[in-house]
Amino acid sequence: MSNFLLAQLTTPNADITLILPEIVVAFAGIVVMLYDSFFPKQKAVSGAIGMLGILISALLLVLMWGDSYPGTAWSGMIAHDNLRLSFGLVFLMIAAMTILASTLWLEIEGVPIGEFHALLLFATFGMMMMAAGNDLVVIFLGLETSSIATYVMAGLRKGDLRSNESALKYFVLGSFASAFLLYGMALVYGATGTTNIPLIAASVGAAKFPALLLIGSAMMIVGFGFKVALAPFHVWTPDVYEGAPAPITGFMAAGPKAAAFASFVRVFVLGFPLVAGAQAAGILHETWTSLLAVLGIITIIFGNVAAILQNNIKRMLAYSSIAHAGYATVGFIGAGLAKTAAERNEAIAAVAFYLFVYAITNLGAFAIVSLLGQRNDRRAEFEDYNGIGFKAPLLSFSLSVFMLSLLGMPLTAGFIGKVLVFRPALESGNVLVVSLVVVAVIGSAISAYYYLRLLVVMFFRERAVDWTPPRVPSALTTAIAAAVLAVLYFGLFSNGLIHKFAGTAPKAAEVRAER
Amino acid sequence: MDLINQNLLTILILLPTIGAIGAIVYKAVTKDDSSQRWFALVITTLNFLISLLLFTRGVPAVGGFEFEQNVPWISAIHTNYHVGVDGLSFWLVLLTTFIMPLSVLCAWTAVEKKKTAFFAFLLLLESAMLGVFVTLDLLVFYLFFEASLVPMFFLIGVWGGKNRIYAAVKFFIFTAVGSLLMLVAIIALYYIYAGAVQGSGSFDFVEILAAMQSGKLVLGQQAGMLLFLAFALSFAIKVPIFPVHTWLPDAHTEAPTAGSVILAAILLKMGTYGLMRFNFAFFPDQARETAWIFITLAVIGIIYGALVAMVQPDWKRLIAYTSVAHMGFVVLGMFSFTELGMQGAVYQMLNHGVSTGALFILVGFAYERRHTREISEYGGLANVMPNYAAIFIITTMSSIGLPFLNGFVGEFLIMVGMFESNILNITDSTNWNYVAAMAAGVGVILAAVYLLWLVQRVFFGKVTNAENKKLTDLNAREIGLMIPLLVAMVVMGVYPRPFLERTDLAIKTIEARVMKSAGGAVEKTELDTKALENR
Repeated sequence: MSNFLLAQLTTPNADITLILPEIVVAFAGIVVMLYDSFFPKQKAVSGAIGMLGILISALLLVLMWGDSYPGTAWSGMIAHDNLRLSFGLVFLMIAAMTILASTLWLEIEGVPIGEFHALLLFATFGMMMMAAGNDLVVIFLGLETSSIATYVMAGLRKGDLRSNESALKYFVLGSFASAFLLYGMALVYGATGTTNIPLIAASVGAAKFPALLLIGSAMMIVGFGFKVALAPFHVWTPDVYEGAPAPITGFMAAGPKAAAFASFVRVFVLGFPLVAGAQAAGILHETWTSLLAVLGIITIIFGNVAAILQNNIKRMLAYSSIAHAGYATVGFIGAGLAKTAAERNEAIAAVAFYLFVYAITNLGAFAIVSLLGQRNDRRAEFEDYNGIGFKAPLLSFSLSVFMLSLLGMPLTAGFIGKVLVFRPALESGNVLVVSLVVVAVIGSAISAYYYLRLLVVMFFRERAVDWTPPRVPSALTTAIAAAVLAVLYFGLFSNGLIHKFAGTAPKAAEVRAER
Repeated sequence: MDLINQNLLTILILLPTIGAIGAIVYKAVTKDDSSQRWFALVITTLNFLISLLLFTRGVPAVGGFEFEQNVPWISAIHTNYHVGVDGLSFWLVLLTTFIMPLSVLCAWTAVEKKKTAFFAFLLLLESAMLGVFVTLDLLVFYLFFEASLVPMFFLIGVWGGKNRIYAAVKFFIFTAVGSLLMLVAIIALYYIYAGAVQGSGSFDFVEILAAMQSGKLVLGQQAGMLLFLAFALSFAIKVPIFPVHTWLPDAHTEAPTAGSVILAAILLKMGTYGLMRFNFAFFPDQARETAWIFITLAVIGIIYGALVAMVQPDWKRLIAYTSVAHMGFVVLGMFSFTELGMQGAVYQMLNHGVSTGALFILVGFAYERRHTREISEYGGLANVMPNYAAIFIITTMSSIGLPFLNGFVGEFLIMVGMFESNILNITDSTNWNYVAAMAAGVGVILAAVYLLWLVQRVFFGKVTNAENKKLTDLNAREIGLMIPLLVAMVVMGVYPRPFLERTDLAIKTIEARVMKSAGGAVEKTELDTKALENR
């Protein structure tokens, strides 16, 4: 009997190796937590454990790339495709950068280090599950894991009112959005009878209650829209980003947002595709693509216009992150409208690449803002940056590179990212989507104003009061230097990474180019 | 040698960048901020000498390019690093490498702070500008086109005059807005190409053009016009053509002398070059249809620029407005779609580079001595600075278009071309082309008025301002750096043939492409045959 039960329990293809990268990160989080409770005075060990976990996990992810894809694992709960692998790498990179960038801040603010690192690792684990989840339930679990960890991180600076406000706002509004998402998932389950995304895709054409499917998907757009901060679901962003400590703001603007995009893309592009001959699927597909295009237009306009008005750099970056969610949406819709699987994969890879670049740039920028902001991020107004350009040339140069990359100037990775996400959208030829691209481009032009403003205050203005460049600890130097090099490197040599994300072989393409 | 020949254009592009990095590293190691100008001078001169190797090859065949290089860059999106020169870009490359050492020299003592950064930006700018003129891949072209903004933004913003921040930001945003729409057009063209050839898309100028010429790729009426406008807007801002020119006076006036020189001599040419290279080749029908708009705007620009220049109290701003007028001439010649007119346009690009560049350098000399640009502050300078006055007057004459100096050849060709042109003749009875040509002629007269009046106010008469009495005349460096420019003015004025021969074939090709399917001519013959049939 017991043998029989055991056989029953193990028959599901519970292949541990396929979720090993996620497990390693979660395990590292637990080790950090345990270590911290026995040796609470430690300073660098928990960070080192975290970095080690991240490295191993990244290595495993890279090794998995070579696999012939089994498609899914764990009875279809876990996806095993390029979407998961590339986004997984993005999250690990974000976590590593955050650990490096937060060292000085942890020291100055006296935040419990172990807790911070453990929470960061759990959040990363949650994000990886979001990208890996092939089932609405797994995605939701991943989302909650990462969200709850992030809520706590936003409030880590317990003594600061703004930090408390930030955490509370994030928590209340985030839970609200999660509820929307969950309800949407329930409705979709009601319409299709499954929570498994490929099965949903197979059954949307013959859904029993098409209206239910529409309402459900609309609610999911609200839920995901909140997480990626699409207007009009963005209102929480500026306050939360301004209040949270700078390194964590950088993490929030990059990590949970990219993760939400990963599941957003998976659920909508792969779950609600256009099915030939099925009217319900057609309506659903057209509704969500046009709705997202409209949201994208609003988001880009709003994010950019609002960013112009900001005098606080953290707030400016918060609004600019809204605009960037809009740009990523352009590629997302491009994926939704792609006609072949290859084009779709390329478009998804473009979104992943875009968010990868955005994450590096943004984390680098926040690392510097946090460094210059000193305790409690006091010095984060534009005025505080007056004339520091030639006083701290390396820091200012790095910040300028980040700003130019966010702006999408050529020779930075941001440019390649923008070209990549605009491409698939233009290919569709859909009028609404083409207008979205035009709006995105005009938005980029508007954004020139506020990104350049930082360059202007740093290099063109004179400093009235004395200022000495801050001490830059080596971990922070590593993070910033890595970010600058990555931004410049991927501005020139992005070919390999794009191919890797898209799962295409670079060799074949090069042969064509030589012809 | 072979290695150099095969990679000539790449070397030209990369050398200044390497120089810039070298200068910064040198500064970081030695903390020495004063010897970078030597560094910059050596690099730019070396680049000029290397660029002379371009003469070793003849004029490429129709549609062909010399010193071509084509290697994949990002194969995932089929974009290649594809460079080459033809008749159209040949002289612009040389103009760039020729002007750069001179602008380094004119900044020799003028730059007082952050010298390393200044010369590094100058060198980076040279790389970007050369890249623009030789790139044959649309995406890489866009890349260089945009990349040239950043160094100039810093040159104006850090080393500029009082109002520098406003000018720098305005310059950047104006240009960026235009070019971003071009990016959309470039990507759209990529997919239109992909659809037309039933394969993967392409950013390659040569490939797309070949598909268009073979009739594989036919642009729809609306799509063609939108794409044309997206390209044209970005170039029109750069040129600048009349209503979008407002960034230019600010940028020119506030920029440091070297910046103004490069801006006037080279950066503006990126716009006219782009129009000729891309707009005319890709969208000949649209170019013909909209020619009347561009000609009207060009004429307005010529007259308006001249009139505004006339009333400027600021010496440098006056020269800046002459750029608006002169670039109007270039646009006029281009859109005449006659061989002479377009030849004149290309020639005038070079002339404007040499003459206006020289004028800005000369204004810079006066500014370095007196630190004011108000014309009323000067007067009678010919008495204290005779050499300076002589050189200035020769340059003025070249800019006005005195025969035997370069300006004359260009303006003459453009006006003859406009007279011959039938692009504006909607019916046989109206001859708007005469009107346009005559309006341009008025512009030449006005140019003489504002420039000669300037000369009179600044140089002639008695020295009224006591501060001007002890001014020193030009030193050896200053005269030395003017000599190449003066020689160029005379040579180009007396013996334009070698210059025109180089551009001839490229111009003829573009003209044939635009006028080949000339709607007017075709319709007319159709009408005639119909009329015959009716009889």
